[in-house]
Amino acid sequence: MSIEMSESENIVFLRDKHIKYIDSLDKKQEDYEYWLSEHLRLNGVYWGLTALCLLNAKDTFKKEDVIEFVISCWDERSGGFAPFPGHDGHMLSTLSAIQILATYDALDSMNARDIREKCVAFIKGNQMKDGSFQGDRFGEVDTRFVYNAISSLSILGELTPEIVDPAVEYILRCYNFDGGFGLCPGAESHAAQAFTCLGTLAIVNKLGKLSDSQMEELGWWLCERQLPEGGLNGRPSKLPDVCYSWWVLSSLSIIDKLSWIDYNKLRAFILQSQDEKKGGISDRPENEVDVYHTVFGIAGLSLMGFENLDPIDPAYCMPVSVTSKFKKYPYDK
Amino acid sequence: MHGIKRRQWTEELLKQKKLQDQKKISEYRDLTKTVLDKKRKEIYTLETFDLTTQVLKINPEFNSVWNYRRDIINSLRDGLAIESWEDELNFTMAQMKVFPKVYWIWNHRVWILNNYPNSPLKIWQRELVIASKVLEMDARNYHAWHYRRIIVNEIEKISGKSMDKSELEYTTLNINQNISNFSSWHQRAKLLPRMFSTDEVMDKKKFINDEVSYITNAMFTDAEDQSVWLYIKWFIKNEIVSKTLSGDEYQKMLKDLKNNILAINEDEVEFSGVQNNWCLKILIVIEDIETSLGITNTSNKTEYIEQLIEADPLRKNRYMHLLNKH
Repeated sequence: MSIEMSESENIVFLRDKHIKYIDSLDKKQEDYEYWLSEHLRLNGVYWGLTALCLLNAKDTFKKEDVIEFVISCWDERSGGFAPFPGHDGHMLSTLSAIQILATYDALDSMNARDIREKCVAFIKGNQMKDGSFQGDRFGEVDTRFVYNAISSLSILGELTPEIVDPAVEYILRCYNFDGGFGLCPGAESHAAQAFTCLGTLAIVNKLGKLSDSQMEELGWWLCERQLPEGGLNGRPSKLPDVCYSWWVLSSLSIIDKLSWIDYNKLRAFILQSQDEKKGGISDRPENEVDVYHTVFGIAGLSLMGFENLDPIDPAYCMPVSVTSKFKKYPYDK
Repeated sequence: MHGIKRRQWTEELLKQKKLQDQKKISEYRDLTKTVLDKKRKEIYTLETFDLTTQVLKINPEFNSVWNYRRDIINSLRDGLAIESWEDELNFTMAQMKVFPKVYWIWNHRVWILNNYPNSPLKIWQRELVIASKVLEMDARNYHAWHYRRIIVNEIEKISGKSMDKSELEYTTLNINQNISNFSSWHQRAKLLPRMFSTDEVMDKKKFINDEVSYITNAMFTDAEDQSVWLYIKWFIKNEIVSKTLSGDEYQKMLKDLKNNILAINEDEVEFSGVQNNWCLKILIVIEDIETSLGITNTSNKTEYIEQLIEADPLRKNRYMHLLNKH
């Protein structure tokens, strides 16, 4: 699978095909899989839209239609956003909804029916005593949901020390001896959790809570995720996967050690995972593509400065042109 | 989609798929429409419960239907016999076998155990056996390890007895089967400090010496895999070691370890002509500790870093950073 450098430099980034692929996703209603993936629809829209922004093709989706769909996903009972109309509100889909609206500069559409107010209450109401967050009322706890909450509230400008301080304490308890972060205290390090934990700390301006030696260990653990074929894995002795181009790279970027992996080799791995016929990127070469791996592959390329992509914010996983307008925590009095 | 091979669809195959899909789509949409409609109307009956079973068998990722199912169970709770709770555990087990990496299934099973009438010790103990079975099938399953810790925690809470010793034995068993089972090394690194702080270890010095033999053996068995090295790098710097051993003993332990690592590296050079990168990386860590202890007469750190820049170019910039810091 490994490719010589001279060869890899010749692989072309299929910009137009990726745009076409993302555009085609909502036109697949004749496919059974389209209906089986309703529970991820709003997340899917966020992944697609973010990829399009990086590809400088934001207008591919019709803005009004997307905003209308997002609002139709709001679940009045919980106050959060569901991934699809009629489903239940959840922290994961709530962040996707807020990210999409912010990307379209359309957060004011949450002013109707007290959506904004109820949504903030939903998010804050999911914080547990130890600072962690549950995904919904049924009690599953994971640093993914801490990230969902902190990122959502940050985009809305609704962070407070009462929410932030215990959340930060909880995140720090998830730091492991090997230099990674787990999904909860005691859990094994996982690259996706490095992103959720470091992303949370970065958003609330608390990276300083990590010591220099912890930063060194983090950088070391993260850069050891790169395998000889160029791709990154999520844990020791696992296969490489394009989505870690995001989880690992964004984490390295947040701690200012992005250059600790080999860009050219990773670029080659991502490009080899493209579907040359229909566009899109898969988890690894020769596998079926999907919008999730497409956005995280493209986001990784953007962080490394390849392919003339629009810059992405490593902490929010949104275009810098959008996040630069967010109110920075701690807020001025 | 993870690990699904890309297929090339011919026109003919696509046509066939579309035809088959049409029927499946209309059945599935009718079913989900009915379920979501009854969910909205808060109809909590055995009939709607069966409907959720139908949906979840087709699509275990449908979280809102799991939620509906829990609401139904909650509502019918008073009339439910123990068999119903057992049936529910069997249902999630069957689902788990087909979809071992779906978060919602694991989450539902935890909820069932927490809500099981009186949540007795014996169901959690039985669950631990099941968790071990799942980990036998996939020793690194991230969900299963998380699940196992939840169960152990609950058993400890109910029984009031620590399970650290038996859990440590469990990691040893796993590692002996496969040294690159990092999930077990991770668990070991979590258990040891706790056992030391709660005085679960009778002879601490012997314990540390045994552990040093254990990791020395492990690195001689498989020096290629990073799991054991990540553990060693934690172990040698940890307080349980530096505080249990006397200053001289600690320095000797480091020195012996260093000699063993050098031996492994030499073997590798002899065998394959190249150095073992992890040997070099850990030698640097040991020398850093020695420097902090005031032992500076044997430092080869610069040499190791320069060798790594050549031998491990993927991480070249980290080594350059170490060199500049040095």
